[in-house]
Amino acid sequence: MSHNVHDRALLLIAQASVEGMPEGHRHWLRVHLEECEFCTERARQTDRALRLLRTAAIPLPEGLASRTQFRVRLRAMELREREPKRRAMWFACALSWAFGIASAPYVWRLFAWFGERTGVPKLVWEVGFGLWWAIPAVFVAIVLLMENARQTEDANWTGQSR
Amino acid sequence: MSDDAKSIARGLRRRDPDLLDRLIEQYQYRLFRYLVYIAGNKERAEDFFQETWIRVLERGHQYDGKSKFEAWLFAIARHLVIDWQRSKKPQSLDTLTDPEQEHPLQLASESEPSPLHQVLSQEKEENVQASLQKIAAIYREVLVLRFQEDLQIEEMAGVLSIPVSTVKSRLYRGLEALRGELQGGAA
Repeated sequence: MSHNVHDRALLLIAQASVEGMPEGHRHWLRVHLEECEFCTERARQTDRALRLLRTAAIPLPEGLASRTQFRVRLRAMELREREPKRRAMWFACALSWAFGIASAPYVWRLFAWFGERTGVPKLVWEVGFGLWWAIPAVFVAIVLLMENARQTEDANWTGQSR
Repeated sequence: MSDDAKSIARGLRRRDPDLLDRLIEQYQYRLFRYLVYIAGNKERAEDFFQETWIRVLERGHQYDGKSKFEAWLFAIARHLVIDWQRSKKPQSLDTLTDPEQEHPLQLASESEPSPLHQVLSQEKEENVQASLQKIAAIYREVLVLRFQEDLQIEEMAGVLSIPVSTVKSRLYRGLEALRGELQGGAA
């Protein structure tokens, strides 16, 4: 019997365990195993290895589940306590934006008046106004970017994208 | 995907404590066994076990219910072990279970009635464990996921973040290595 025949048989034995054997090869393998002691022994060894692997038991440490449940509940409480703070931050950001937009014309006039009174060049108080208006928006943008980066990192970490 | 997976996803988004309690009970054995095999140490596996469920609570909103929950759970557990290993020292997963560095696993059977059966069973488990520990971690891991946890090859590819073809080739090599080790141990 050639080496190729044994190689094919051994491959099929492994294939049957790993991903299932193609139907057409089943009969061929059965016939081969009937006449080849070497491959029959290998099939038996593979079968034994898998049986041992499947039936190997590992005892659970006592109280592992209850200890874990306790820790998880504690952590859940911590997270719940943090939740209002996060909501408050987003509410403050939204309020600040709404107020910024609503008050922009008045603040513009205020900057213009202040510029005239102090003799500051127009460009300077205009930039000042721009900064006054942009800083909260930049702050929110930074928070959003950080939040987004954290979520992306989390998604990569757990192997799921949202 | 099943309604069960979707209801788990919904519960995790709400951080439902009763659901988490139920999941911990339901998956405790499988997760612990997986962790023991990849971390190579029962005490460490216990720490990882608790940490895994904390992560499930914190990142539960990322589970979309489209895949099996256990595949997602094992992926979290695996990442924890890998992160810990990286933070410790830049070596391969095999060093986690180096018998020179760590106490070998003491596996004992819990429910066997007869003392003789217990001894035989323990010998068998120790034989399997010893054989598994001699196999490279990348092969040990796929063998455990496939033949103990009964994950599909595609699910394993998701857990391990590797192509299906790589999973298959690791399974073939791992199976051959395990067969050889068990055969060597029995001889």
